[in-house]
Amino acid sequence: MSEVQLSLRSYAKILSHVVQYPYTAVNGVLLTPASPERKEGDGNLRRKEGNERVEVVDAVPLFHYNISLSPMLTVALTQIEEYAINRGLRICGYYHANEFHSDNDIGFVAARIADRIAENCEEGACLLLVNNEKLDHIATELPFKVFFPVRSTDRIDWKEGEEPILQYGERGLTLGPEIMKTQLYQSVVDMDSHYDDVRCHWDNAALNEVVTLFTESIPDLEEVEE
Amino acid sequence: AVVSTQSTGEHVRCSDKIVELGEYALAHYSSNLGNEKWAVYEQLCVAALDLCPVKMKVVNRCIQKLAEQFPSSLRVSMLEGLKSEYLKKWDEALEMYNGMIEYEPTFPAPYKRKVAIYKAQGKVSDAVSELNRYLTTFSCDHESWLELADLYIGQQSYKQALFCVEELLLQHPHNHLFHQRYADILHTLGGKENLEASCKYYCRAAELNSSNVRALYGVLMSSSTLASIGKISAKAKSDNLTLAAWACDMIEEFYKSQRVGKSVILETASVLDKLSLK
Repeated sequence: MSEVQLSLRSYAKILSHVVQYPYTAVNGVLLTPASPERKEGDGNLRRKEGNERVEVVDAVPLFHYNISLSPMLTVALTQIEEYAINRGLRICGYYHANEFHSDNDIGFVAARIADRIAENCEEGACLLLVNNEKLDHIATELPFKVFFPVRSTDRIDWKEGEEPILQYGERGLTLGPEIMKTQLYQSVVDMDSHYDDVRCHWDNAALNEVVTLFTESIPDLEEVEE
Repeated sequence: AVVSTQSTGEHVRCSDKIVELGEYALAHYSSNLGNEKWAVYEQLCVAALDLCPVKMKVVNRCIQKLAEQFPSSLRVSMLEGLKSEYLKKWDEALEMYNGMIEYEPTFPAPYKRKVAIYKAQGKVSDAVSELNRYLTTFSCDHESWLELADLYIGQQSYKQALFCVEELLLQHPHNHLFHQRYADILHTLGGKENLEASCKYYCRAAELNSSNVRALYGVLMSSSTLASIGKISAKAKSDNLTLAAWACDMIEEFYKSQRVGKSVILETASVLDKLSLK
């Protein structure tokens, strides 16, 4: 059974993005380390799905406005791909938060973008849907549903999987309330912010630094068991 | 509740700041504010509703103060309606808004709240009908045309969305954002004629505002897609390639003029190469 592990860095960005724009849908992409053995032009792209862990090390928030209109999505994905390649990463998934509190299903727009991202994934892909109703309980659980692609000849169906695991488990969960309390979410930059002002960069370096400091402050740090 | 930011001049919804500042202002500067304090109560109330249930006492206090000062005011009734909406008492809120519309049909706010209620209930077609009805009377409300366009886009009814933006273009022919929006929808629809039209509208948007980087990317995307369509003439292909190259130069120059970091410039150059090839 496939599962998703979220790094604190990626969780911080997704949560900040959702909370910063609570009155609209938001979305973004998930990044994972690129496999070193996979070379470009390898015609034998075997999709090893069904029994793997997708390690989400980072996330890039995309839009909070004009979510479903096409040209900027292509531009943004190309920019993020370039950014990822230069850092030994690749796009491995998509996250989406619907506009309404009670709407926690994959809609047409989310499915279409997730399909597109899955089609470009060498191996494995996942869709992280924010469960808006769980945003009140981030002190005790992650507010996400995870879906994995089931591919047939002409379509992709997204089947719900196990809930994701957060890096550092329960201690990692304290990051959520910390972000809320310190209003750190206000510094999140997405691609929309970048196109409004190109000096803002979607790598969210400021958020990264805070997450690093937070991680260093966790006592008796150990990785979640494999 | 909105407040302008200094950096981009963009209106943002910062309800937590408004509540903090509003409560402080009313507590410490009530006499200095004079009659402006009623506007502050109103704005504070709306912002506090965003922060409920924690700030429900603030909401109630604002409504009480305003009702005392302005008995039988429509604007105060609107706040009561908003509170009912927060409590998900949809029927109660709808009844209140319908009553207000009957009493004062030229007051726009209750019509829009009805649309908001239908949206919250997931009744998108009711929201669309109501908003269409509203716009036959209040056709200069450009935010509502944009809202209706968004509703149509959410349902993939792109042609209807185009119609809404056309109304905006008629009323605001020099607004680069509306030209860009129109182009975005055309581009999303796809097909040779729509792409050609979208390219023109992106160009117009960039002409009206050369800092609209989305418009520049739009020119690049539409012209390079057109150049790669098999069934176009050699001249059309050449013109599109020239346009795509122009857009790349404009984008690169723009990034440089904004003094972004060197690595960003290099990455952008590589991205532009990839986008032109697509």
